[in-house]
Amino acid sequence: MTVWLEVGGKKVRVEVPAAEGADLVCSVDGREMVVNACVLEPGVMSVVIDGRQVRCLLDGDAVVIGGRRVAFSRFDPRSLAARRGGAEGADGPRPVKAPMPGRVVRLAVAVGDAVEQGEAVVVIEAMKMQNELKSPKAGTVVRLAVGVGDTVGVGDVLAVIE
Amino acid sequence: MGEIRKVLVANRGEIAVRVMRACREMGIRTVAVYSDVDRAALHVLAADEAYRLGPAAASESYLRGELILEAAKLSGADAIHPGYGFLSENADFADACAEAGVVFIGPPGAAMRVLGSKTKARQAADRAGMPRVPGSVTGLGSVEEAVRVAGEIGYPVMLKAAAGGGGKGMRAVWGAGEMGSAFLGASSEAERSFGSGEVYLEKLIERPRHIEIQLMADQHGNCVYLGERECSVQRRHQKVIEEAPSAVVGPALRKAMGEAAVRLALSAGYVNAGTVEFLVDEARNFYFLEMNTRLQVEHPVTEMVTGLDLVKMQIRVAQGEPLPVTQDQIAIRGHAIECRIYAEDPENNFFPSPGLITALRQPGGPGIREDCAVYAGWRVPLEYDPMLSKLVAYGETREVAIERMLGALSEYFVGGIRTNVGLFRRILMDEGFRTTAIDTGYLERLLAEVPSVVEQAEVSEDLAAVVCALFAVASAPRVEAVAEVSSGWAVAGRREGLRA
Repeated sequence: MTVWLEVGGKKVRVEVPAAEGADLVCSVDGREMVVNACVLEPGVMSVVIDGRQVRCLLDGDAVVIGGRRVAFSRFDPRSLAARRGGAEGADGPRPVKAPMPGRVVRLAVAVGDAVEQGEAVVVIEAMKMQNELKSPKAGTVVRLAVGVGDTVGVGDVLAVIE
Repeated sequence: MGEIRKVLVANRGEIAVRVMRACREMGIRTVAVYSDVDRAALHVLAADEAYRLGPAAASESYLRGELILEAAKLSGADAIHPGYGFLSENADFADACAEAGVVFIGPPGAAMRVLGSKTKARQAADRAGMPRVPGSVTGLGSVEEAVRVAGEIGYPVMLKAAAGGGGKGMRAVWGAGEMGSAFLGASSEAERSFGSGEVYLEKLIERPRHIEIQLMADQHGNCVYLGERECSVQRRHQKVIEEAPSAVVGPALRKAMGEAAVRLALSAGYVNAGTVEFLVDEARNFYFLEMNTRLQVEHPVTEMVTGLDLVKMQIRVAQGEPLPVTQDQIAIRGHAIECRIYAEDPENNFFPSPGLITALRQPGGPGIREDCAVYAGWRVPLEYDPMLSKLVAYGETREVAIERMLGALSEYFVGGIRTNVGLFRRILMDEGFRTTAIDTGYLERLLAEVPSVVEQAEVSEDLAAVVCALFAVASAPRVEAVAEVSSGWAVAGRREGLRA
């Protein structure tokens, strides 16, 4: 069966056998390889390829292979976003999101302020460390979604820059 | 004082577990204290008894000395081990323990007051004849005065904000000609950042190493040094890798630094474990930095190379026993390296990564020690330090210790949250680290470089893509299925079954 993946930032078409089996003939964008894969427990797989054994672990939206972490996601090649190229451009509003849970300790800007790309917008404290979250682009702060003292979760929108 | 029978550990995380292990070996009962988010923490599970302190915030739990003393009273603990951080360097708490008739496993409050304060410790260091980074002690009034002082101590020098920190108001000056603009720049930056433009200057130590001496003193006036630890691999003044011994410290330098540290400790009536931190320059001159009046995070590397258990020594010293070893009985054998595993994401600005640990695979094998505070199913709280674990590798030589650590790191896996495990591989493979060309700026320079292709090409991109796809469709067989078809025993068993 065909699996469309974005792996480490690259889009690839991977063919893997639909049926279970130990020696699997697979291909990546037409490049064929035979892997012997064995699931040890959910999320943990041992792969033997050309005699080399590699332990692979599934961790959320990434796999850890031989100590290296590779982020991946499936996508549908027919969808509009995939054909457009997916990523949001430099134009239009861009959110500043919380990369981790924490508490807002400082707002470095106010609504209406002009900011440079990389300029601190909001400061969040987690695990005894203060982390400056920076503007993804040059523009104007059109919205501040949080206040000092607020608790935020991963992915929460903190501010919008346009 | 009599024998200690029950110890309350006024801390959390791996150090609390570490102390409890030592107690257990000595037949001492243990008492944990915990905040609301730590009810299921490993240190609570490791203890014989446990008492709640309060809400998650440290100021409402682990920093509440009076609540901790109350728990000591309720549990009948006769001693308190403070670990590191929290109340460990709080002289008032040490005094409060003494007043409550509970042994504080650490230095007396008075010694802590002298050696724990930066300014007082410097005065004590001067009296003990310890070298310090030369410089002006008071603020400079003018550019002319700055030029005069710099001329006395020799260029290069560093201008620093008296009220400062965090790199603000600092300027390196390499000659008298640069002093004018540097002085004004530093002064105005200090004014803007701290509300005071006062600056002083110190000799600039180029590419300094951070090397520290471990001390242990008893109540009978004996004090020994247990060698040094090399702690130069740091990020934002936080230690990342520590090792013992240091590659640049030979027997003569070790003796000179060790004896200076012992002199300082004895001059202030110091008792129990302590660490004297030094900067060491490229010519191997050492300068007193500060003293830590407690057990340190990185104490395991000293334990590995001396064969001594520092926590047990602390407890014995606290119950009045003389030191079990004399200076000439202390030998450094082999090499130990410690990696501090943090819940932070090296691929995303080292942002903290608290949350649920969904999987944990820990390494083993010869020479590997792990002091760990977490388990699969544990939710790492966001209120405390991000350190999850300390991984230590020991070997006959530094090379062996590095290879063992690399092996252990490849076995290590923490799922659910991000950790800096991958960063250590990069450091330990780096030529600079391997040739011990390290100083306190080493790691920041390494991180500024793009990782080499060799580091990235361990696994082919195509294989990574196939593995991702296999996980996505889950079409690889489970291990039982493989065992079924490949196990001769199973086949023989079935045949037997058929025959019967």
